[in-house]
Amino acid sequence: MARHCGVMAAPLARRAADGARRVCSAAAQRPWKLFGAMCLLRLPRITQPLEKEEEEVAALMEQIELEKSHYSDHEIRKLEEEEQLRRKKESLYDEDEARGKTVIMAQDLEEKWEQKFLHFKAAPRITEADKSNDRKSLSRKLDSNLMLLVKQKIGNQDLWLLPQVEWQPGETLRSTAERAMAMFLGDHVQAKVLGNAPYGIYKYKFPRAIRTENNVGAKVFFFKAYLQSSDVPQTELKADYLWVTKKELGDYLKLEYLKKVNRFLLDL
Amino acid sequence: MLYPAINEVAEDGSKLITVIYEYKVTPESVSPHALCYFSSCSSWLPQRVPLRGSHWQSSLLEFRTSLPVRAQPKKKKKVDVKKEQAQKERMKKKLKKLEKAAPELIPIEDFITPLKYSESNRVRSLPALSPEESERRVLLLKKWCLFKQKQDEAEKKAIKALVESQQEALKELRLESEELYQAAVRRDEGLFPFERDGPTYTPPLPGYDPPEGKCIDITKVYTQ
Repeated sequence: MARHCGVMAAPLARRAADGARRVCSAAAQRPWKLFGAMCLLRLPRITQPLEKEEEEVAALMEQIELEKSHYSDHEIRKLEEEEQLRRKKESLYDEDEARGKTVIMAQDLEEKWEQKFLHFKAAPRITEADKSNDRKSLSRKLDSNLMLLVKQKIGNQDLWLLPQVEWQPGETLRSTAERAMAMFLGDHVQAKVLGNAPYGIYKYKFPRAIRTENNVGAKVFFFKAYLQSSDVPQTELKADYLWVTKKELGDYLKLEYLKKVNRFLLDL
Repeated sequence: MLYPAINEVAEDGSKLITVIYEYKVTPESVSPHALCYFSSCSSWLPQRVPLRGSHWQSSLLEFRTSLPVRAQPKKKKKVDVKKEQAQKERMKKKLKKLEKAAPELIPIEDFITPLKYSESNRVRSLPALSPEESERRVLLLKKWCLFKQKQDEAEKKAIKALVESQQEALKELRLESEELYQAAVRRDEGLFPFERDGPTYTPPLPGYDPPEGKCIDITKVYTQ
């Protein structure tokens, strides 16, 4: 049972207007426990597929551009060479002239380029991790954001959450969140935290059994960070972890928690 | 006292100097050189004409019979200094005028079509648009308009939700502790400038060896 008896007796200055909670004595306890949680995002590496309307309009735009354009040098060369070929077939006048001219024709060049393009094999957009639905790997779903979820013990339950850690007096909430991240991913994670302010909050009250006057519930403050390094070393701690997209969050998170988290995540 | 008079330059180029003397000019005082000078003024003979060094010099033979020359250099200095100053001011005025004139505009190379692309043989020959095709295009663009509007609205809604969520979190934090709130509201200096490479169509190929080559930048740089 995780009964938190920590006394958060930090003599902090409060607003005088806040009459409900006043600093009575040095041993004033706040009824709410503070947690800092980090929402670590792996940003997309490839572009998202186009929607149907987008594709249609893209094709239309290309067509309009072609109609409004003039011939380029390459196209003029191609047309002239076609003319020459045609004239050669019809009459034999140009044979003597053609010998002095270039051997490579525009058509040959185009074919050469086409061959080169076909030879090149790009990396696949749908990776193996996608096919095997390996939710622990970072190379799954390259076109959307992936979030880190860890299994943590809260109270007497094991829950899937964004990595969180209790706030300790003397540090800002941002550093709490960074500590949470470091705890689960190791010290050498390169992440860019987006600002000092929290993005969201999840408030919950402890079940009546543990609730006391001084220990009503907990507030979890969420921070957002972007993962900079392309791969995270697999030296994760014993906790279970997952990298999931926003849509898959519903499979793991509790409803109320999910509602609060969804508010500060953009659709990707 | 000697008063030099008009210096006349005769048409044939020889100098004709008439000096008016206050005292009587006796034939003895006039030098023989002067006599032959006067006699030869009508015709141009290659003679060594003894010219005076300056018009202040009274006679040809004597060297230093000139009027007091102490005033001369001073005058020259003043005039020169003044002239130089006036010249400098004129130059400065000209420079200012030039600077005030609007600077020449840098041509935007993208907006200037080179002449060779406006030749007639370059015009593309394509079949004309059928009415069905133009109809289809118009309808597609209307659908696109709607699609984009919905997309924009969704984006704005998402941003609004984001901001609301953050405001709520900050409000709760303030209720908790003022110090933490102040720390949260402080500006993060290390955040900007924020740089990130955008997504590509395919992910990076591991172990890809790009072909060798040098990229030579030939953009024209204009200076004002």
